[in-house]
Formats: sequence, structure tokens, C-alpha cells
Amino acid sequence: MTQEAVAETPAPEAGPVVRLLREVMPGIQLDITATPIDECVTVRRDDFSRVMETLFRDRRLAFAYLRCQSGVDYLTEMESVYHLYSFANKMSLAVKVRFPAADAHVPTVSYLWAAANWHERETHEMFGIVFDGHPDLRPLLTEEGLGYYPLLKTHPLADIEEWQEDILADIDEAKKAAYAAAGTAPVVDEKAMKIQIAQQKAAVITKTRKEAREKGLSTEDEKAAVQSALKEFEEQLARQPQPGAAAAPPMTKVEMAQAKAKVITNARKEARAQGMATEDEKKYVAEKLKEFSAQLEAGPAAAPPAPPKPPMSKVELAQAKAKVITNARKEARQQGMSTEDEKKYVAEKLKEFSEANK
Amino acid sequence: MARETLIPAERDLDTIDIDVNVGPQHPATHGVFRMVITVDGEVVRDLDPVIGYMHRGNEKLPENCDFRQVIGYHDRTDYLAQFNTEHCWVEAVEKLGGIVPTERSQYIRVILAELNRITSHLMFFGAFGTDAGLFGTSFMYAFRDREYVQEFFEEITGERMMYNYYRPGGVAWDVPENFKERCNQILDRIRSGISDLEGLMIGNEVVLARCRNLSPMTPEQAINWGLSGPLLRSTGLAHDIRRAEPYSIYDRFEFDIPTGTTGDVYDRLLVRLKEMTESIRIVEQALEKMPEGPIMAEGMKRILRVPAGEVYMRVESPRGEYGVYVVSTGVDKPYRHKVRGASFCNISALREMSVGHFVADVILILGSTDIVLCEVDR
Repeated sequence: MTQEAVAETPAPEAGPVVRLLREVMPGIQLDITATPIDECVTVRRDDFSRVMETLFRDRRLAFAYLRCQSGVDYLTEMESVYHLYSFANKMSLAVKVRFPAADAHVPTVSYLWAAANWHERETHEMFGIVFDGHPDLRPLLTEEGLGYYPLLKTHPLADIEEWQEDILADIDEAKKAAYAAAGTAPVVDEKAMKIQIAQQKAAVITKTRKEAREKGLSTEDEKAAVQSALKEFEEQLARQPQPGAAAAPPMTKVEMAQAKAKVITNARKEARAQGMATEDEKKYVAEKLKEFSAQLEAGPAAAPPAPPKPPMSKVELAQAKAKVITNARKEARQQGMSTEDEKKYVAEKLKEFSEANK
Repeated sequence: MARETLIPAERDLDTIDIDVNVGPQHPATHGVFRMVITVDGEVVRDLDPVIGYMHRGNEKLPENCDFRQVIGYHDRTDYLAQFNTEHCWVEAVEKLGGIVPTERSQYIRVILAELNRITSHLMFFGAFGTDAGLFGTSFMYAFRDREYVQEFFEEITGERMMYNYYRPGGVAWDVPENFKERCNQILDRIRSGISDLEGLMIGNEVVLARCRNLSPMTPEQAINWGLSGPLLRSTGLAHDIRRAEPYSIYDRFEFDIPTGTTGDVYDRLLVRLKEMTESIRIVEQALEKMPEGPIMAEGMKRILRVPAGEVYMRVESPRGEYGVYVVSTGVDKPYRHKVRGASFCNISALREMSVGHFVADVILILGSTDIVLCEVDR
């Protein structure tokens, strides 16, 4: 998002510090970003070590003080940002280095600034960025073997706290009992089903791959085998009767509310277009609403068809992930695993999940 | 093997290094903080600070809050310098959004931030005296005066600790009518309190004997380890963000930057003591110049959206450089919110400061860094 915003604005002019840096290091690609206080440059990862060493050692620059190092996650790309200050020359500079998220490596600067040691340790544990050559990348703030990187945008905020798990299970059971008593079918959890299918798919893929490797197939053949296995699986799935799929699902409350809101907005628009008075407008809206509810009662077929579901959004993905973690933990606890094993188990499940969602 | 190492040989005394855990629950660690100290007899050979016991995701949470909701999280980052940390955050938002706070609110902010610096340093002297073996005496003196200021803050903000008073564009509401008189009363209190503390701590035989020449730092060391605040100034380097890169209206006041000479624990004490006097000077000038007028900038929207961009805002908090790196994408929430805690960087140099000293002195060295664990762990 920021990338676009930065790309749209015209390239800002180089300030005194950047001009000095260009003079000291000619031929280095420096992309300038405008910030309200500091001058800010982005360097290529290949030049990064050289630039930082020059910033530290060159007398004209002498950035001896590393005030802050931070990581930023831009989903496909990541950034490591260094804020420097020069006591000798009384100037400050921000240096950024960008790299793809799939290859999150950047050379360490802890051999230049001792202060970078802890900053880089923290960024490593929070973002998974590896600082090549760092002497000690143990986690600093979180426990060891966490298995995930909390500050990544893909990591969900835990909407379900662990201590609430039992309560939620109780609620689920109570709901089921209520449905059974009323004689209606319980609402199908579509998300959970999707996850289940994805997991099954992942299992199919792993199995086929393993078999292919045992047979010694080439990579091309392996791919083809996996694809055919997947096709088979999907066909199988289509043949199975799907709960809830046979009859059109009744509108959920949220959908209903949204539809209602739409009716109101449309009615208002129409009323205004016709130049009605406020009182009349209100009446008109009420009438339209009545019509709408009458339509609803007449039958679900009369209601406007629900739009096709888009593929999993990021939030949904994150929520699904959280669910996977919760479930894995629960299973692990039921099996009486030790804390270490539990962590491993959770990590495994997460891996499976992410593979399935690729 | 154990027998050989434990029982001294005839010709020479073999010793083994032992790991000693100090903390996480220990009165001398100023919070939940653990040090794994490797000792050879009484001498520290290695020290590994273990932090993270108080980690609350203080960088992740604000990414899901709007710009004003984040103010409360900054109170809870450094709970002894709340006004300073809030100041940093609102300044960052103002810099990004191009918001100009009103004159009066800027003066209020500076006065409260400086008074807050004094309460923080008073807290330091109270706690440090306890570390140094003065037991409760220094604590009682320091807290007596701190309490007056604390009550004053409560009168203004309605809260004892988590003030949540600064806002982008100004402050939440105006100060009471008797603000200036109350401020002057408090300044008188603090002045006499400082002289009490000076007599108690600075000339104290115990403090002199234990703190002088303990853990001296050179300016080069301090810079390389990213130290800031009184720790940096005690080495003789007159660096204060209020002077070097003035934010808010600090360029309008006259004040000195107290420095030490050797960077030892005693110098750190002296620097903090003198800083309190300088803060009083700033508050006096600000009270004199403080204008009447609105306390909130005009045209502030209910939901604040700042344009896309990024800024690293830093202020001089009592512990040193407190910084926030904010990336905004133009929506009502910060995209990235990184907090540079002064204590975090100061404590990372604890090994450098402590190795070669006695175990008992490590408590003093730790005390002299004046850490706030909430700021370290965030």
C-alpha cells in the first residue's frame, strides 16, 4: 500500500546528507523517500553492507550512533529500517533495505554498532528476518520455539484467548442441544468445512508426492501425478452429498441486515430523486421495508441471490490459522503431550495448513 | 571429576565458575527481569540479561487501533514518564498529518513533561537509595515530594498514572484555573526536596564509597552501545534531543545540559540531580510565557486519518531517547508502530557495564540505568 503511495509521488529532492553520501559513494543506487524529519534512502541489498560500513567509518559521515532498527512487513516484501545519528556532524539519516518476503535475509550490522545486536534479535523473532552473521539470534522477548512470527501481518490477533476455549466449547454444545430440542438442523460451519477439505487435499498431495519419490519419478511426472490425484479427490468430493448444499442456505442475520440496509438506501435515494419531503421520505422507506419483509416471508427464493463467495480474504485466512492453532493445541493436550511436543505439533499443523492454502 | 575440582589441590586453588540467577522476581531488579550472572567468587565473569517477561505485544496492538487510541498504550510503555511518551506519539502523528498544535497546549505539554521528568528522577533516587543500602530513607524523602506532583497530575488529568491527556493537535481539556499557582507551589516543594536529596545522597559516605569509579563508560562505548539520556551525558557528551533536534517548543527555553566526566555510577546520579534543577528552570520560563487561548487545533476530525508516509519521532524522556517509528498508509490506523525504548537500549549494554565488577555492585549498576521493564519488553 505504501509502495504505491510512494511510487505515485514524484521523487523528492536529495537533502544535504544524501548529497554528501552520493559524493562519498558515487555510483550507488539510492532511492529517496520523503519523511517529515529525517532524510531517508533505500539501498539495494547487495550494496547494503558497503553503504553501512561507509556510513559508520567515513569521517565526513561518521554515523556512530544507531538509534533504532525496525522491520516492516509489506506482505510480499519486507523492509529493515535503520535510523542513524552522527554526533560528529550533527545529522541524522534513515537507511532502508528492501527484500522479498520469501528470501528474508539481510547482512547484520551488529559488528559495527553494538546497539544493533538486540534490535536485530528482536526483529528476527518478530518478523523472521534473518540477519546473516549475527552472533546470537536467540529470541529476546518471546519464548523459544514459538513457531510463528507475531508481527507479520498474516499473523492474527488472537480473537479467542486460550482461557476462553472451554467456555466456547460449552457454548457450542449448548447450541447443539438447543437445535436438537427444536428439531432443526444445526448451522453448518462453512469455514471449518473448507479447512477440513483443504487439509484432506494437503494430505493427498503429500501422499502422492511421497509415492512419486519412492517410485523415482521425474519432477514433471511427479507434478502430473499430483494433479491427477487432486482431480480424483475433487471428483470424489463432488460425488459426496454435501450438507447444506442441497437446499439454498437461509439468509444469515448479517446478510439480512445488509440486504435491509440496501433497501433503505435505495428507497431514500429514490425518494430524494423524486424530491419528497422528509416526512414522505420516511413513509416511503417504511413502505419499502414492509415490502421487503413480506418478500422474505413469501420464501427464500424471492430474496435476492447471495453473491458468490470470494476466495478467502486475508482476515479469514488469519482466523482460520488461529483456529488451526487452537485445535492443534487442544488435540495435543488431549493426547497429553509435553509442552515441547505440543509446540512442534502446532508448528506441523500450521505448516500443513499453509501448504494447503498456497 | 567433581571431586578434583571441588577439593583444592595442594599447590593451587582451583575454582569453578557458577551461574547465579537474579530474578525474575527480585526486589533489586526493578520489575520482572532476570540476569544470569556467571561468577568467579564474587567477581562477575559474564552476564546475560533475560527479558520479555512483561511482553504484551505493545507494537502489534496499536496496529489495530486508531491514532488516538494508541495514546493509552504509550502511557503503559514507560509508566514513569507517561507525559513524555505521550508527547512522542502525538508529535509523531502531528508530523505525519501536518497538524499544528495550539500555542497554549504546547506550553501545557512542555510543563507537564518536565514535571514528569522530575517525578521520574525522584523515583530513581528513591529506588537507587534502596539499592545502595540506604534502606527506606531515600525512598521516603523522594516519595514525599513525588506524591505532591502526582496529586497535581491527578487534578489535571483525572488519573494517577495512566494520564492519556495529550492529543494530536493539543490536549484533552484545559488545565484548572489555579494551574500557575499550583505549579509554583509544587516547584517550591521540589526545590526543597532536591536539596534534601542532595544532602542525603550526594554527600553520603555509603554512596560515595560504593558508586565512585564504579563501571565507568567512555563516550565511544556509550555511543556504540546506543546509550542515551543521563547514561550518555554522564560520559561527558552534552547530547540532549531537546537541544540537538528541538521538538515542540523546546527551542524557546534556556537550560543547561548537565554532563559528567567519567561516566561512572556516581556521575549518573549527579547528572540526574542537576537535570531536575534544569527542568524546574524550563517550567518557570514556560509558566511565564504561557498564553491563553484554545487548547485544541481547529478542524480536527473525529476519526483521524493521516496521509501515507513514515516518520521516526524521538523525544528526550527521563531515561533517554524514546522513539516511535510510524508507517501510515493513509487509513485510520498505523500500519507499523515500532517503539524504541530508551531502557531497551540501555539495558542491552548491561553486560558491557558489569563484567569485572562485584556481584553486589551489579545491583547498583542496574539501578543506575534506571530501567522500566515495561519499556524494555513492550
